[in-house]
Order: sequence, then structure tokens, then C-alpha cells
Amino acid sequence: MLEIKSVSKIYGDGANPVNALKDVSLTINRGEFLAIMGPSGSGKSTLLNIIGGLDRISSGEVLLDGRRIDRLGENELVSLRRGKIAYIFQQYHLLRSLSALENVLLPLIFRGDNPDAKKAMKILERVGLGQRAHHKPGELSGGEQQRVAIARALINEPELLLADEPTGNMDQKTGKGIMELFGELNSEGRSITMVTHDPDIAAHAREIVYLQDGQVVSRTRRS
Amino acid sequence: MKLYQLVLKDILRRKKRLLYAALGVVIGTMSVIAILTISQAGKNQVYAQLEKYGPNLTLLPAVNTLDMKLGGVNLGQLSVGDNYIAQDKLPELRRIADGEIRKALEIEDDGTPIATIAPQLFVTAPVNEATVTVVGILPDEERTIKSWWTIKEGSYLKAEQPDGAVIGATAAEWLKLNVGDRVNLNGQDFTITGILEETGSNDDYQVFANLATVQTLYNKAGLLSVIDVRALCNACPVEVIANAINQNMTGIRAVAVKQVAESEMGMVEKINRFMLALGAVTLLIGLFGVMNTMMASVNERIKDIGIMRAVGASSRQITRVFIYEAIVIGIVGGIFGYLVGTGLAYLVGPMLFEGAKISGVPLYFPVAIGLAVMVAVLASLWPVHRATRVKVADCFASL
Repeated sequence: MLEIKSVSKIYGDGANPVNALKDVSLTINRGEFLAIMGPSGSGKSTLLNIIGGLDRISSGEVLLDGRRIDRLGENELVSLRRGKIAYIFQQYHLLRSLSALENVLLPLIFRGDNPDAKKAMKILERVGLGQRAHHKPGELSGGEQQRVAIARALINEPELLLADEPTGNMDQKTGKGIMELFGELNSEGRSITMVTHDPDIAAHAREIVYLQDGQVVSRTRRS
Repeated sequence: MKLYQLVLKDILRRKKRLLYAALGVVIGTMSVIAILTISQAGKNQVYAQLEKYGPNLTLLPAVNTLDMKLGGVNLGQLSVGDNYIAQDKLPELRRIADGEIRKALEIEDDGTPIATIAPQLFVTAPVNEATVTVVGILPDEERTIKSWWTIKEGSYLKAEQPDGAVIGATAAEWLKLNVGDRVNLNGQDFTITGILEETGSNDDYQVFANLATVQTLYNKAGLLSVIDVRALCNACPVEVIANAINQNMTGIRAVAVKQVAESEMGMVEKINRFMLALGAVTLLIGLFGVMNTMMASVNERIKDIGIMRAVGASSRQITRVFIYEAIVIGIVGGIFGYLVGTGLAYLVGPMLFEGAKISGVPLYFPVAIGLAVMVAVLASLWPVHRATRVKVADCFASL
């Protein structure tokens, strides 16, 4: 589904260039649950940014369903985020003034669709937050907030979920709950790519890519 | 839920910030509304005067004051000329006034009088230990000229009532005189036939009696203090008549009241323009204030912008979020700006235009809202531009 072909990313100007990614190639297949691991500064977040069209590459190609997305204009990127790709963040990034339900509805509002509260409610129930739909983020625990964020990511029925350290702000037990949810979503056929530095978390993924100094050093498939 | 509802929810959460932003708009709108309201009151005042005096002329005795100086030492002033106009000048006055009107309106001279000529003689008389001005008038002519006179009590003075008198509202109150009371003026008893409604002019303090009676009583037969002339129509050339009188008659100085009112109006206009310029400056300062707060609002919400972008907001939608916010700020600022501005006008107005009756102008309410929204939106353009430049990746350090 998604292909990264010899991508390099250089930050900074000519005097002090930082090679965040060096000739990285990677294929993410449909239905895959992939974890990108590596020490900090290894380029894993940069890689996720590039997969999600949040960052420009210096050279190479990124293809989604055979179409290049590394040179998309503003409008095409917007429609990408309204459809095929959704993000989940370490800090949950919910709008504080809106209830859980309204946060889930947000992508529909921006898409110009009828904000279907029933659908949003169903998804909130799916992530186990049916009872907390009318609470504001401030009234929810970290795990609950992340579930709201996951529900929000799901509402547009994206093909690819991108998660950056989704359990980074949680205790182990809560993080495990989120990973189990990820596992369920994946078994329902959703592709997930997540960045983590925690081997216990990565262990939930079906495939693990190791990055070091901006280069893929291994790709292992768990049985 | 729609985008604007989302904005409203967000605004409700950040009420303080919003009110702070609105403050800049309030200050600007307030000053403009206060200025507009005050200047409207000033204009109304002058208009009221214009309307009262209409196309009238006032003729005064031509008294010149000469400064007496001897080798640089001031010896005071010397009045040259009479303090009175001779009554026998009235026919000539009528001939000139009617002649000019006929010329202007292009009508034949058939001998019928056109202009209303109302001579007055001012004298003073002690009444109950106070001194009151007694005005000798021709009752019918005076009434024609002073069309705004209304009788509060009793009836108006008739020409065939030599000992009748009409009294101004304030004078009646001071002197405790009622209709039917008798009052002694310089040795003769007069009967109060009526009391005038308050006019806001000197008339309120005066007693009016028949001209001939007053002239006889004060030994001023054939003498007049002032002559009011009312031309027939609004288009009548009062200035031309005034010039003709000034050129052809000696001992009389004619002033077109309209000219006085017009020059006064010119002053009002000048003051208004100056004040409006000041208002524009405050508006501009308010604009920068709002721009500052909006900029802070954008910076504060970089993360929120990033979130919205990440879940599919286009830069146009981000613009709309902030423009909606600016419109709300404008509406809130406009409402307060109107209220505070009108209040300010009530406070300050009477200092600027003495006696002006300040009243809130409802028409300025939409003006205030429009102005405030305009300022708020204008002030938001640059911050909004910055907001749309926010990239998702910039907002999330973790990503």
C-alpha cells in the first residue's frame, strides 16, 4: 500500500546539515501492524512524518497506492488527511473545549460531512468509552483520552493509522490496554504503523523495523 | 455541530482572552460613537436654532463703539449713535424688504405687505424687588415671527388690550404670577392674560405688553430697540435684504440670523471633523491592540491549529475559525462600544456643546457593530495568515 523508495532527509542548511534519514526504503503492506523502533535521534519520528505527508523529503519517493505523495500540494494533503491517513499522538491532542464526542466528530466537520453523532457514538463504544462521551478531555484519564483520539482517527475510516509513541504518556497497564485495542483494530483489517522506543509496546506489533542513524538496520516479523 | 459552533465553544472556554481582545475594539468604537453622538447633539442644537429663527432678520440700532486713546493711554470706550431705532423708519424698511422679496420671487408690486415686521422696545421695571425686562410688542406680528411660542396658561395678548401682558415661563415662576394677577410696571397696573410655554430663550425671562403702552409709559414714543423681520418664504434672500437695508438705511444694522446659525454650524462641523479624526486614531490604536491579542491567541493555539490541521482542516477552514472569532470579538466589542460611547457622550457632551441635549442614537448601534467587526476582522488578517502557515509537524514536538 505504502512504499518508501530511497528516501533521504537532510535538516538545516549547507553549513550544518543533519542527515535524519539516509536512503531509507520501506514497504508497508495493507493490513500490516508495523512498529518502528530505534533510539532517540535515529530518525523514526522523521520517517513517520514523511509517511504521513507531514514533512518534505530531500530525495527519493513516497508512494501511497502507487501515487506519489511526497510532492502533494496543500489541498491534496488535506484530502489525504480527510480520508486515507489518520494520526494518533503521544499527547492525544484533543481540543480541550470539546467533549469526547465532539472531538470524535471534528474530522467529519472539517470534511464538510453531516456530523453523524450516532456513528461517533458507535466508535466511542467500540474503543470502550461509550459512558464518557460527554466528558471533556480534562475530565478523562490519559488512557481514556487516547481512546478518544483513536476514535477520532477512526471516524473517517482511514486505511492507514499512524501513531507516534501512542503509549508514551501512560503507565504500563494502560499502555497495554491501548495496544490490545490496536491489535483488535488491526485484526479488523486496519493498517497501523507506530513509532515506539519501548520493546514491550513494540512486541504487540506484527512486524518491527529498527532504525539507527537514519538507516533501517533490520526488519523482523513476529510469528 | 458546525464549525462556528466549535468556535463558540472555544470562545466560551477562553472568555477572558476574548474580553481582553474586545477591549481594544471597545475603546475605539466607544470614542467614535461618543463623538458621533455628541456631534449629532451639537448639530441638532444648531438646527433647532436655525429652524426657530428661520429666514429671519434682526435689525439693531447701529451703535459703534470707538476706542478712545490718547498717546497710548486707553481712555475707555465711547458709544457713537443712538440706542434706539426710530419707529418712523418702518415704512422705508417695509419698502426695501418687500421690494427685495418681490425681486427674488419675480412678483408684481400690488401694494400688499409681504414681510412680517415686528418691532420691539426693551425697558426694565422693578417687580417684587427684582428687575424684569418688559418688551413692548405688536402682539400679532410678534406671534407670526415667534411661531414656536405656545401659551401654557390663559390666552395670548391682544392688540386692543393696552393693560394686558404675557409673561415668560421662568419669569412667571420667579415673580409668582398667575393668569389674572395684576402686576405694577413703572406705575401702571397690567393684567397677566397668559403665560408662555418655556422656549429655552430669553423670552422665558421677559414680560410682553403692547408696544404703544410701553412707549408711553417710559416716555419713549416712536422709539424701538430691535426689529425682527420675517421674510415670507424659506427661499427668500434674507442676506440680500440685510445688505440692502445696511446700504440704504442709516442708524440700523441688519443681521441675517441664518448667517449666524450657519457660521455656528460651520464651527460645529469643524469641531466634529477634528474629533472624528481623533476617533479614527483611537480606532487604529484599538486595531493594533486587537492585532496583538489575536497574535497571542494564534500563538497560544498553535497546538490547536495543528490538531485541526491533522484531522483534516484546510487552511481556509483555519482562517474561518479565526475570522469567526474576530467577528464575535467585534460584535461583543461593538455592543459595549455603543453602550459605553453613548454613556460617555452623556457625560462629556454638555461640556462641549453647552445646553445640547444628548440622546442616544439607535442608528449608531449597527454602525458601532459594523465598525467593531470591521476593525476586529482587519486586525485579525495578519495573525490569521500566520495561523494558516502553521504546519502539523511544527506543533507536535513528539512527532
